[in-house]
Amino acid sequence: MSEEILEKLKENVIQGRKTGDDMGVDESLSGTPGVLELTESALSEDISPESIITKALTPGMEIVGEKYSKKEYFIPDMLASAEAVGAAMDVLKPLLEKSNVETKGKFAIATVKGDIHDIGKNIVAILLKGAAYEVIDIGIDVPEDKIVDVVRQEKPGYLGLSAMLTTTMTEMKTIIETLKENNLRDKVKVFIGGAAVSEEYARQIGADAFCADGFEAIKTLDNFQAT
Amino acid sequence: MTLLNDPIQIDKDKIFNRIGYDGDSVPSSRTASLVEDYIDNYYDLIAPSYSHTVKTIKSVNQNRVDVGDSVILESYKVARLMERCEKVAFFALTIGGYLEELATHLADKGLVLQATVLDAIGSGTAEKLAARIEQNIREEAGRDSMVVSRRFSPGYCDWNVSQQEMVFRALGNNVPGITLNESMLMVPQKSVSGIIGIGRPGNDIEQYNPCITCLEKDCPGRRR
Repeated sequence: MSEEILEKLKENVIQGRKTGDDMGVDESLSGTPGVLELTESALSEDISPESIITKALTPGMEIVGEKYSKKEYFIPDMLASAEAVGAAMDVLKPLLEKSNVETKGKFAIATVKGDIHDIGKNIVAILLKGAAYEVIDIGIDVPEDKIVDVVRQEKPGYLGLSAMLTTTMTEMKTIIETLKENNLRDKVKVFIGGAAVSEEYARQIGADAFCADGFEAIKTLDNFQAT
Repeated sequence: MTLLNDPIQIDKDKIFNRIGYDGDSVPSSRTASLVEDYIDNYYDLIAPSYSHTVKTIKSVNQNRVDVGDSVILESYKVARLMERCEKVAFFALTIGGYLEELATHLADKGLVLQATVLDAIGSGTAEKLAARIEQNIREEAGRDSMVVSRRFSPGYCDWNVSQQEMVFRALGNNVPGITLNESMLMVPQKSVSGIIGIGRPGNDIEQYNPCITCLEKDCPGRRR
C-alpha cells in the first residue's frame, strides 16, 4: 500500500499536480488526488516524512529535471512540479523538525540592495524548495546588514545573491566583505546569479559559485552536499 | 488619449516565448489555458501612463551628447547616432504597478508559475506600449519630413543605466506613475524609457544599429 501511494505521489510530482483539481502536464491523472492529498494520505498510512521525500518527491523532481534537459518539459512544467513539491514540503517541515530529521540544507536567497528584480530569484527559490532544500527568501533590494543578520540568526549553509545590473552587482562584493568582517564567511557558501554576473565575477569577488539558472543551482548545491 | 487607451493586443506566442518555449515547442494545455486566461483578463491590471519630449541637440563629441538644460548623454554609441541627428526624443512609459504587485503576491504564496506568466504579460504589454509611442514619435517627425532611429534605453550596450537620470531630467523629472530608485531603476518595473534620434533622411539614422559591428555575439540585448 505504502509503495503504491509513494508511486502515485511521484507520478503527480512529474505531472506537476499540486492538488486533485490540477490538470497536470497531459491530463492523464485528471480527477485523481494530487501531491497535497497524497502527502496527507501517506502520512495517515504512517509513511515517514523522510520516506515521502526520498522515495517520491525527490525522485519525481529528478525525472522532471531530466525531462527539462531533454526539452520534453519547459520552465512552466518544471515550476508546476516544484510548486507541488514546495507545498508538500510545507506540510512535512513541522514533522521533520519534530522528529529531528534534517532537510537537505538551508538556503537563504536575496536580490541585492538597489535591485528590484524578483522573478529570477523566485524561480530559483521554488526550484530549490522543490529539490527539498529549506528556503529562506529574504526579498528584493536587501541591504547587506539584513543579509548578515539572516546568516547569523538562521545559520543557512548556503546564501544565494541575485543582481541583474552592472550597477548593483558590486553589492555582492560588499556583502561578502561584510560577512568576512563579521566572521561569518566560512559559515556559509555564497552563490551568485543574475544577468549581470558571471563565473569570472564570482571568482573575482570570492563567491563560492556562479549559477546560470535554478537547475545549475540545484546541481551545484547537490555537489557541495556530496563533498 | 488613444495612445494609452486603445486596447493593446498581446501576442500569445510571444508570451510563450518569454516563459521558455522556443519556435517548435508546444505548451501543455495547462500552460496554454493559464496564459490565455491571463491575456483575457490582464487589462484590468494595467494603468498606462507616459511622457515624451523632443529637444534640439546642442553638440556631440566622442562620447558625449549635450542636449542643454544639463542633460548630457554619455555613450560612444549613442554619440555616433546623435551626430547624424538634429533632435532627440526622450520618453518614459509605464503600465502601472498593479500587475507586478499581483505577481509578487502570487509568488509570495508559492504560485511562481502564475507569477511568471503574469510577469511575462506585463513585460510584453510594456514593450507593445513602447512600440506604439515610438510609432507616434515617428509620425510626428514625419510631419516635419524627418526620420527617426530605433529606440535606445539606458542600460543598452555602453550607455550606463545610471544615465536614466538624464532621461528623466529631460522629461522635467515629472513622469506620471514612475519614480527612480537609488540605483536609477524605474519603479514600477514594467516601465520603459529611452531616446529616439530625429534627423533628415539620408543620414543612415533609421538603420543605425551598433550591434551589427559589435563582437559580443551572445549579448542578450543584440538587435538585428
